[in-house]
Amino acid sequence: MADHFTLMTLHALLLAVFFAFLWKKDPGERKRYAVKVFLLLLLGAIAVGWLMYPFP
Amino acid sequence: MGRGEGAKPGLPLAVLLGLAWLVPGLGHVLLGRKSRAWVFGAVVLGSFVLGILCQGELILPKPGDPLSYFAAVATVGNGLLFFLARLLGLGDGVPTAVTYEYGNTFLLTAGIMNLLLVLDTYDMAVGKKEW
Repeated sequence: MADHFTLMTLHALLLAVFFAFLWKKDPGERKRYAVKVFLLLLLGAIAVGWLMYPFP
Repeated sequence: MGRGEGAKPGLPLAVLLGLAWLVPGLGHVLLGRKSRAWVFGAVVLGSFVLGILCQGELILPKPGDPLSYFAAVATVGNGLLFFLARLLGLGDGVPTAVTYEYGNTFLLTAGIMNLLLVLDTYDMAVGKKEW
């Protein structure tokens, strides 16, 4: 439970599902949108983490 | 149902929005969007429970901390979940816990998602959104 990556992944998953169901009507479109949001949140967080790495 | 007609829940709009705020997904149930309502309810509840399990804090306004007022709006946005948690003595938060910030994030996110559901309920009730 204390694993940061797991918690971050869970958070991204919950948000992706929520916004896919809130904004998309068509099931196929919904699925694609959820995957896109999930990957953007997850990979975006990792990218920002790496960008912050040189800073104290 | 055409655009602009609005869904007919048989309840005054203010009551509908109040119920949508109190119970995540109830606004969608009352407007007949049951399958979406279950997903929304599960996501908000899941996020809230994770926040509590991570020892997050249900943030309330703190004097001298202006940002806490914004956080309090999100916290109270959880509706009945917030009041139940307070009643059970949960959500005090453990700042020394390694998952404290994650817990806060889950709790605040759950509240904001529920407030977005209230807005979605409004849009459907007045006919701005058809599905």
